[in-house]
Amino acid sequence: MSVEAPVRPDAAPAPRRVRRSSDQAREFDRPRFLVGFTGLFYLFLFLPIAIVVLFSFNAERSLQVFGGFSLRWYDAFLSSESYRSSLTASIEIALVTMVVATVLGTTLAFGLVRSRGRTGGAFNVLMLVPLVTPEIVAGVSALLLFTQMGLRLSLETIMLAHITFSISYVTVVVRARLAALDPEIEAAAMDLGATRMEVMRLVILPALWPAILASGLLVFALSFDDFVLSFFTTGESPQPLPVRIYSAIRFGVTPTINAIGTLMLAISVIAIGLALALPRLFGRRESGLGVLLGEEGA
Amino acid sequence: MTDTTTSETASVDSRAEVDAAVALEGVWKRFGEQVAVRDMNLTIGRGEFFSMLGPSGCGKTTTLRMIAGFEQPSEGRLLLEGQPVADVPPYRRNVNTVFQGYALFEHLDVFRNVAFGLERKKVEKAEIRRRVGEALELVRLTGRERARPRELSGGMKQRVALARALVNHPAVLLLDEPLGALDLQLRKQMQVELKEIQREVGITFVYVTHDQEEALAVSDRIAVMNEGVIVQCGAPEEVYEKPERPFVAGFIGISNLLEGVVEGGAVRLSGGALASAPVPASCAAGTAVQLSVRPEKIALDELIEDGMVVLSGVVVERVYLGTTTQVIVELAPGVRLVALEQNTYRARSDDRWELGTQVRLGWRPEHGLVLREG
Repeated sequence: MSVEAPVRPDAAPAPRRVRRSSDQAREFDRPRFLVGFTGLFYLFLFLPIAIVVLFSFNAERSLQVFGGFSLRWYDAFLSSESYRSSLTASIEIALVTMVVATVLGTTLAFGLVRSRGRTGGAFNVLMLVPLVTPEIVAGVSALLLFTQMGLRLSLETIMLAHITFSISYVTVVVRARLAALDPEIEAAAMDLGATRMEVMRLVILPALWPAILASGLLVFALSFDDFVLSFFTTGESPQPLPVRIYSAIRFGVTPTINAIGTLMLAISVIAIGLALALPRLFGRRESGLGVLLGEEGA
Repeated sequence: MTDTTTSETASVDSRAEVDAAVALEGVWKRFGEQVAVRDMNLTIGRGEFFSMLGPSGCGKTTTLRMIAGFEQPSEGRLLLEGQPVADVPPYRRNVNTVFQGYALFEHLDVFRNVAFGLERKKVEKAEIRRRVGEALELVRLTGRERARPRELSGGMKQRVALARALVNHPAVLLLDEPLGALDLQLRKQMQVELKEIQREVGITFVYVTHDQEEALAVSDRIAVMNEGVIVQCGAPEEVYEKPERPFVAGFIGISNLLEGVVEGGAVRLSGGALASAPVPASCAAGTAVQLSVRPEKIALDELIEDGMVVLSGVVVERVYLGTTTQVIVELAPGVRLVALEQNTYRARSDDRWELGTQVRLGWRPEHGLVLREG
């Protein structure tokens, strides 16, 4: 008869109960200790790096006391012939590795995505092996292979080793992108008069290039600061920078090391930064980071 | 464009109509053991809106892909505008396709998407601008030239895909379930638009769909396909009103099929009743046939007129559909007929078709279609 909801006498305490449970929910979502925990994590992550950067500008020789700003260690680094040639060698290795691994890795990605049947499946798995192989194993086996073949260890042997392990990184990133591409767009482009080469140039590569670029720059950064592989495959001279640093610190740590470290950090950060920024600069919504993490452009 | 093939055409047999936009002559398509299209002979006229209708796997998309050049016939000849095209790759055929998933180029804006085909043909810049403008106007997308595909709705993407194909003025436009991804409202609207656009540009449309209503709504002619074969080909009215095979009667619209045996100028139904019907000369007495009656041709109770075939049964279900009501009548266990009643001003109260009511139903003898199996 009556349409009104009956008013219950015990309805009054309900709001307080609701408020309390939402408070609890908030605490449960973001416990305060996590803030401190995260802070500590970043402190341990960045403090040592920050100290290296700071002391690279130290006017004093000391590694404990900061005695004013100076560029003397950078000067020491750049005026050393042996360090300079190591820096050039490292950049050279990283550039060659980047270009060759990107081209080969992209080609491999095409082959893997387009291949059907059991063979394709097997290679899809085999391709991942370099990503999980301990680097020391890769380094030792590369060394054994090169010496067995009678190759003289040099910059070229380092490049070979770096390219070999970098291809997989490129392939993983590019393949994900390629697999997400609508296969009909190739048919559509051909239907509109594009030859196979034009389909590649005008449709496939433009859709893939954020992934190709990002993986290339990632490979550059990986190769530039690689130590283990380089250590096993390097010749006498010039040695890549990380190996050169390692041999230097055996005779004691000098502030020059801080300057080199800071410089290497800067170069790596620039490479990764470019990988993130370039796709954005060219008006793509997706960032290189999204591509690297396998996110789909929304 | 087909200069390499002109020498062959001197010997083209008289079967290929000069006026045909597309002709298939004894075309087969096999994928390994599987036969996708078997011995297809088909001529599609210039300016025709031609639909291929059938369940999935009937070979309609394969046929379309052969016309586009993405697949090669295993056997037989395919002619576009009278020219054999066996050696012509997709990018050199004067044919364009609207894909089911639109297949727009995400990295290009709407203008560049539509201009893509013209740019490949090295058309002059000013001419490209003019024609793209025209095409976008045709599909009512003027002003969206700079939009990226991902910023558009499904219906708009569909229009871009249509403009991208039409701008090239192809001899034949192939449409592969182009409205499949749209919701019902938009589909109905786009059907009308497609039809209007086709009439305006006068290009031959070859349209693939599994939606029988859509095929009826847009086509000049429909080929109903099943298992790689064209079961019947004709105008929408023809395939609907005069299906030649039980498959066609069953696939297009709701069909009531009753089993029976030919007996003189009538069919002895399995229930025992004798229904007079126009029996084709090819059906001798004793031939097992199916009698098909469209639901809207069936009259109930007092609407039954003199001279109708009359049966009786029990109402087992009533489905109210707004403009019509479906009354499902069981004649004998397992034998059911659907009757459609218009809900006009003459309609009586709803309780008329209460479940379990005894009801008489009848139809004019000429509305009973005698169909041979197969």
